[in-house]
Amino acid sequence: MIRISLLQFRVQALVAAAALAAFAILLAVTGPHIASLYAADGLASCHAGDCQNDAGYFSFQLAAGGYQALYLVSIGIILFAPAVIGLFWGAPLIARELETGTAALAWNQSVTRTRWLAVKLATVGLTAMAVTEGLSLMQAWWAAPLGRAVGQGAPSSPLTQGRFTQLIFASHGITPLGYAAFAFALGVTAGALIRRTIPAMAVTLAVFVALQIATPLWIRPHFAPADHAAIAVIPGREAGGATGPGGTTLTLVATSLQGQPGAWILSSGPVNAAGKPVSITPAACAAPSVATSPDFYSCLTSQGIKESVTYQPASRYWPFQWAETALYLAAALALAATSFRRLRRRLC
Amino acid sequence: MSAVIEAVGLGKQYRRTWALRDCTLTVPAGHVVGLVGPNGAGKTTLLRLATGMLAPTRGTITVLGTPPAQGPAQLARVGFVAQDTPVYTRMTIADHLRFGTWLNPGWDDGLARRRIGELGLDPKQRGGSLSGGQRAQLALTLALAKRPELLLLDEPVASLDPLARREFLRGLMEAVAEGGLSVVLSSHLVADLERVCDYLVVLVASHVRITGEVSALLASHHRLSGPRRDPATLPADQTIITESHTDKQSSLLVRTSGPILDPSWAVTPVSLEDLVLAYMSRAAEDPSARRPQLGVVS
Repeated sequence: MIRISLLQFRVQALVAAAALAAFAILLAVTGPHIASLYAADGLASCHAGDCQNDAGYFSFQLAAGGYQALYLVSIGIILFAPAVIGLFWGAPLIARELETGTAALAWNQSVTRTRWLAVKLATVGLTAMAVTEGLSLMQAWWAAPLGRAVGQGAPSSPLTQGRFTQLIFASHGITPLGYAAFAFALGVTAGALIRRTIPAMAVTLAVFVALQIATPLWIRPHFAPADHAAIAVIPGREAGGATGPGGTTLTLVATSLQGQPGAWILSSGPVNAAGKPVSITPAACAAPSVATSPDFYSCLTSQGIKESVTYQPASRYWPFQWAETALYLAAALALAATSFRRLRRRLC
Repeated sequence: MSAVIEAVGLGKQYRRTWALRDCTLTVPAGHVVGLVGPNGAGKTTLLRLATGMLAPTRGTITVLGTPPAQGPAQLARVGFVAQDTPVYTRMTIADHLRFGTWLNPGWDDGLARRRIGELGLDPKQRGGSLSGGQRAQLALTLALAKRPELLLLDEPVASLDPLARREFLRGLMEAVAEGGLSVVLSSHLVADLERVCDYLVVLVASHVRITGEVSALLASHHRLSGPRRDPATLPADQTIITESHTDKQSSLLVRTSGPILDPSWAVTPVSLEDLVLAYMSRAAEDPSARRPQLGVVS
């Protein structure tokens, strides 16, 4: 059964191998240049504390060199690979057999349907996981100097994002394994339930994309209770400030937290001395003469306003990676179990 | 001999509609059985239940003494050629044979290769490029080469041209002639069955109308024509299957175990097709009416 599964999968496997090779060539051609720029900028030998300028220059150089597009495209490929696999490997796996009637051929050999599906899921599913993780590892090698530059204090930019940001978190580490297994199982199950390839593909895409959006917004932040910090107001953090009947609104947007490099900031905003959130600028600081002057922030501080930041510390990166991967793998197993039940009960 | 298929109160429901309902039948071993019936009689559903591709909603079915598709050993004993004889369009004939080899411990590769050779098929040809007749032959080859005890075929020749049809059935008969193979072949084309079947099951609306060996069926059915008369006056051992009357003439198709002695009847033998059509049209009327009322057909 394994041999026949591989025989029937060889075209898709060749396409995947070609895609992996193309990706590898693209990164192998451009990667050494990034590494050489990193070395030329003195980042390889600088010591903590005085690297920040060099790191910033390095990221500027890369952006000017047109690497931003390549960087984002390569991440996009990793993020979309599971969806493509779910659509083109998962959805047709059962649905096409039913549509073309070849299910009658496949399931009337001396192999039970359960075994047929188990072997297909294992061979194609493991390939899906390997391909996606392969893309991710190649890109991680390519972008390693960027990651080091982030650690050395490069300012945040599309090229230099912390690894807890959505794009990096979802395309590196072990999460691609979970996404690939899940998207594949989703496609297979949609095909088994809907029994037609194209609608199954549509459902697979819709559900996968919806989950990829929902995960960083509503699921990932809750893998561990978030930490809170109330810090002194930092100049330059306020955004907006519309004046209405109740006064001038006050918002503070934190993108990083002192002493917590690489932390994932979930939310931030002003609180008063009692720790209660405030949304209106204190009257004492609201006067235009103050509000537009550099004294604004010291005025806020004198009024007891602090900046409250809710965050997940950088040290939780790997626990979160494991949690998210485990969650997606568990969902993949549950979907696979549904396919097995469906296949055993009623088909054709 | 024992039964190859035994169904009791078998039913299969799709959402609200019953594809097969309360079907009870026994198919004996060692025959080439023709399963005939109008479209929608439940032939395909019955065969798919027999392969285990469908699970029954009600009742039970056993195939070769065990529930269908119970495990690899049971699967190996039953071959199936589905309606429209599907094959993998992107796989070559050689790939299909590999498929058979790898998935069936009892695979007879010599038989498969010999059949492909005799059919003049190029092993490098893809499934999608085969004609309907070639595709059917490939599907039959796959089913035969796993060396089943029971071969189920669902309308295998319905979409083939007459020549391809004859060649397909000839291939089937050659396999049967080697012995040890029971066949159940569904069709709504009686002419095909006449050529190959020695046993008949007429299925109408999930129910078996008549079943038996073809020779016995033909010997026990007669067409009677003669002056018009009331069918109620027939001898008790003669059962009317169909009747038609004009002002002066009556024409009956009757079943009887004894000879027809009444000299006023002209007795002619019936063909298998007449017989099947008679039972199918009888069922179209009220099946509970054993003696239909006298009607005039002008």
